[in-house]
Amino acid sequence: MRIPEWLSPSNPCRQFGDNERLFEALKKLDNMAILCVQTKAMPSARKFAQQYGLPPHAADEVLNRGTLVFLRKIETGAYRFQGHAPSSYLVEIVRREALMMTRSQRKSHEALDNHHDLHDPDEAADQRQRESVELVRQFLAQMGEPCETVIRLYHLDGYSDEEVVRQGWTRYSTTDSLKIKRSDCMKKLIQIAQKWKSTNSI
Amino acid sequence: MEEHKQYLSDDADETERRAAELVMEGLAGLRLEAKVAQVAAERAAFYRRRFWRRVFFAGGALTLLASAVYFFLGKKAMPAPSPPIEQPKDPSILRPNPVPSADKKSSSEPIAQLRPDERLPPTRDTAPGLDMIRGDAAADKKTKHLLDQVWYTDYPLKGLRTGDAFAKADELLKKRDFEAAYLELEDLEGQFSQNDTLRYLWGYCLLELGAGEEALEYFNALQGRHKDWEAQLQWYRGLALLLVRERAKALALFRQLAAQPKHPYRRQAEKAVRVFDF
Repeated sequence: MRIPEWLSPSNPCRQFGDNERLFEALKKLDNMAILCVQTKAMPSARKFAQQYGLPPHAADEVLNRGTLVFLRKIETGAYRFQGHAPSSYLVEIVRREALMMTRSQRKSHEALDNHHDLHDPDEAADQRQRESVELVRQFLAQMGEPCETVIRLYHLDGYSDEEVVRQGWTRYSTTDSLKIKRSDCMKKLIQIAQKWKSTNSI
Repeated sequence: MEEHKQYLSDDADETERRAAELVMEGLAGLRLEAKVAQVAAERAAFYRRRFWRRVFFAGGALTLLASAVYFFLGKKAMPAPSPPIEQPKDPSILRPNPVPSADKKSSSEPIAQLRPDERLPPTRDTAPGLDMIRGDAAADKKTKHLLDQVWYTDYPLKGLRTGDAFAKADELLKKRDFEAAYLELEDLEGQFSQNDTLRYLWGYCLLELGAGEEALEYFNALQGRHKDWEAQLQWYRGLALLLVRERAKALALFRQLAAQPKHPYRRQAEKAVRVFDF
């Protein structure tokens, strides 16, 4: 980073003139937009962490978890722009995450059964999605290379096939061969998931 | 992102469709996790940068404030150093200082002599250039800088009572107009060649003009002759020795003074030992 950039006052929200533009950028998972709402929600995250007796470093964790839920809700359409500041919604989610963290810590401290309170439909959906994430992480690891990388580059990191070929991150030198390989890998991944579902009778 | 349906077989059953949905949901979650982790790293860098920027600006503001305080208080505590004197080749054609400082006129309170419990302030005046009188081309900047730190000189001279005959010279020395005082003392030389007051005034004037060797001659001649003058005379001899680059002799003298708890220049001598003992 250059010295003038370092010295100039930084505000990640500056480039988003209004809440609507910020929301549109959040839909595109723009890093600066995410950073903008996070910096606005961070003081609240710290306050909740303190208020609920969480350790000081938990504020970061709570904010990350809250952001994950927040982005998921934008992606699934559960949260739509209605003129309000997106950061205020994030603060609400962060408060809930802080509470959940407090509750889970208390449960582990008191050595109670690991039962999840699924009365909250949001919490139930989040829980289901967390489980899906864990399963797919396992399945990907199970597949090994090159499938893991091929899928990760496109579906997780969001690189285009052209970029992957240009950078030479895989052994596939054309976008067509890369697409064909990814299609094979995805089919395999679904088969693994199907197998797991049948084994676990889900 | 691609639709998951394209990965399903033609005769996909419900189980396969649900498995595909699970995979796509998991991948979407993983993508969000990766994004949040990426932004978390950016956020950490952002806060780190903001912290150091605040430290930088706070440091700058404090430095400015400290400079302002130092400038304000420093100005109050000590008058500005005398303007630099032009280098004359011949002492007889010395010109007076163009603008004697108004502060100096009022600074008749001696600061060089301290009570035993008094804190040693910074020097009020700078030392003369080492080449000022002697005409040395290569001025010893380092020695000049060190001399500035210990240049505790005062006028009127301690214990000295000047009669009417020396009134003009006395006045000029009070104004720190040493060049004019030099000319006045030269005039007095014919009348009072054996006068100790004149010798002392000569010694002091020459010392302030940077003529260490000549000043030393006068100070040596006065040594042990007037008890009241002795303490200050010893200190001035030390300064004169430094002017003529007799550092070892000067240090020996300063150590003697520093060893005397009641010597009025003990603190100055201690400082001089610290500054010149390298």
